[in-house]
Amino acid sequence: MRRLIPIALLLPLLVGCGNRNLILTVDILSFMDPASRAMNYGPIPPSPSDTVEVFADSLNLLQGVGDVTRVASASLDVAASFDNASGAATGDFLIYFAAADSANPFTTTPVADIPFQLLAGQITNVNTHVDTSPVLAEVLTHDRAKVGLRIIFNGTSFPIQGRETLTLLRATVVLKKDL
Amino acid sequence: MTARRLDEDGGITAMKKATSIAALVLACGLLAGPAQGQTLDARRLGMGGVVTSDVGDHTGSNIAFRAVPKGAGGSSSIPLPLGLIQYIADHPTFDSKDSTFNVYEIANVFLNPPLTIQLVKPHEVSGDISIFVGRDSLMVDLADVKRVIPKNSMKQGGVFHVGGFAKSFGKMFVQVSPLIHVRNELLLSDKLRDALRDAVPFTGNTRYGLTDEGRAQAAISLQFGYALRALHRPSQAETENPDPRRNGSTSLYVGAAPKYLLGIAYADAHSIAGATTGDTLFAGSNPVTIDMDTQTRHAVVGGDGGTGSGIGSDVGAVAYYQNFELGVGLNDFGSQIKWNTTVRRHLYDDATNKFTTTEVATNQRFVSRIPVTTTVNVAKRIGRTTIAADVVAGDLRTSMHAGAEFWFGMFAVRTGMYRDQNKMAQFAGGGGYRFGKVGVDLAIATNSRNIERERGAELSASLSLY
Repeated sequence: MRRLIPIALLLPLLVGCGNRNLILTVDILSFMDPASRAMNYGPIPPSPSDTVEVFADSLNLLQGVGDVTRVASASLDVAASFDNASGAATGDFLIYFAAADSANPFTTTPVADIPFQLLAGQITNVNTHVDTSPVLAEVLTHDRAKVGLRIIFNGTSFPIQGRETLTLLRATVVLKKDL
Repeated sequence: MTARRLDEDGGITAMKKATSIAALVLACGLLAGPAQGQTLDARRLGMGGVVTSDVGDHTGSNIAFRAVPKGAGGSSSIPLPLGLIQYIADHPTFDSKDSTFNVYEIANVFLNPPLTIQLVKPHEVSGDISIFVGRDSLMVDLADVKRVIPKNSMKQGGVFHVGGFAKSFGKMFVQVSPLIHVRNELLLSDKLRDALRDAVPFTGNTRYGLTDEGRAQAAISLQFGYALRALHRPSQAETENPDPRRNGSTSLYVGAAPKYLLGIAYADAHSIAGATTGDTLFAGSNPVTIDMDTQTRHAVVGGDGGTGSGIGSDVGAVAYYQNFELGVGLNDFGSQIKWNTTVRRHLYDDATNKFTTTEVATNQRFVSRIPVTTTVNVAKRIGRTTIAADVVAGDLRTSMHAGAEFWFGMFAVRTGMYRDQNKMAQFAGGGGYRFGKVGVDLAIATNSRNIERERGAELSASLSLY
């Protein structure tokens, strides 16, 4: 992830906005290494449950934004695709955001929990919109944050094997001036 | 040559340097667009702001007007600032914490002082600003704020003769008055303007820059003037009516007023700044390369360089022929001030994230100029009707006014139009009633003296002294 300093160029415009907002939409996915957007999973042997940590990465966010603005709200749009080659499962697709000083983003409560159902030989697309997440609002106004992606498989047919691709990870932050 | 570092504690942060540029853009944006002064003389305003030898700030526009006998058209005006009542009843908040705080409304208070009643206000700048950011994409939609970013450069300023003291001795006069000249021009690069004004996405390997040229100087003007009638061919009606505007005589009045200028302070700054994107907009730890280079020059009484000294003049002429008036006035003609200036260069190094200030010169002789303001006016009086027009060319802009006044007994009806500083046609109309030596005038006129450069309308009231 790269820092997004130039966004700060526009923050002073908020001075004149009165009760209006700065709506900042960040395509987080585009900042991710293409290699970490997709991941092969499995083969998962028969077991009640299996957890796959897709990635945990540190983001450099809007440096200094928190100095001059406060977050009125934050939301997140997430979408992923599972090209499941074999096996079947239900499960949860979990997105975590945590403060930069946290040791592990997976120790926090996920900001998004997307249930899914996979069948052999089928492509399953999942998506969700997380609205007004206080956790997201908190972390996105700091210089840095940690993000993590975890998939929990509850298998019903084994071995479970396929490829997961993260297709959308977009945060929308509504900022108000605080000058 | 000496050089020193600024901000020794690690230099400015990326946030600071980014916001500095934006603040500069915003600040200049806020002050762009005003411009022409407000006309508080309702008689003149009702005639579209036109100047003649008996309408408006006549002695200030053409020094030869001083020698023209006072006519029936009035000699001076007393403004009635009715707009203050409206302002007291409904004014914008200055509390930035207030949810209704809007700096654009406040800017409009300064650009358009509340001395007249605002009948039609420009639409308030409002709306959310939207920014979309991706690794290689950035798009900014300023929504309503786009209206404050002009298509061309942002210019502001003017030459202001503020108050002062004047005393006439027959055809001569002496005047002491402060003189202030301010000029600033901010120019956004085409790429930056397109990105901010038209929400064109930012692209890689592109420089988004701006240049700013600012100058301010203040002086005390000590002026000695003389205005007289140079040519005269009397008319038959002159014995009954001494007013050359209406008696059909042929007359030429000229005036000149050399002035000594005691310079109090001078400063100018020439700045170039920009941000150049890389191959990918947000790749790397430093996604843009920022450049800033400013050269300043200054002198101030009691400080670097001390006072300045200079000379200048106001000259003018006005001719009458068969009730036709043609006037030409040049204010601050040839005016210049000599200074001993200090020149510094402030250069930002993106690699070290620091400003370096270098003193380029001290006590360097420099001659500043006060831009000339030219007023050309024409008028024709037919009976009690006056039809007039003028062109006023100043440092930053040229404006044109045209208007007419019709008297019916004690009632006057006026109409006019003008081309304002934003090159927009504005319209005016009004009326007046005369009570002996005093008259009451009202005028309604449109204008674009606001940050949005939109047409508004005002009601002005004043007293005329005849």
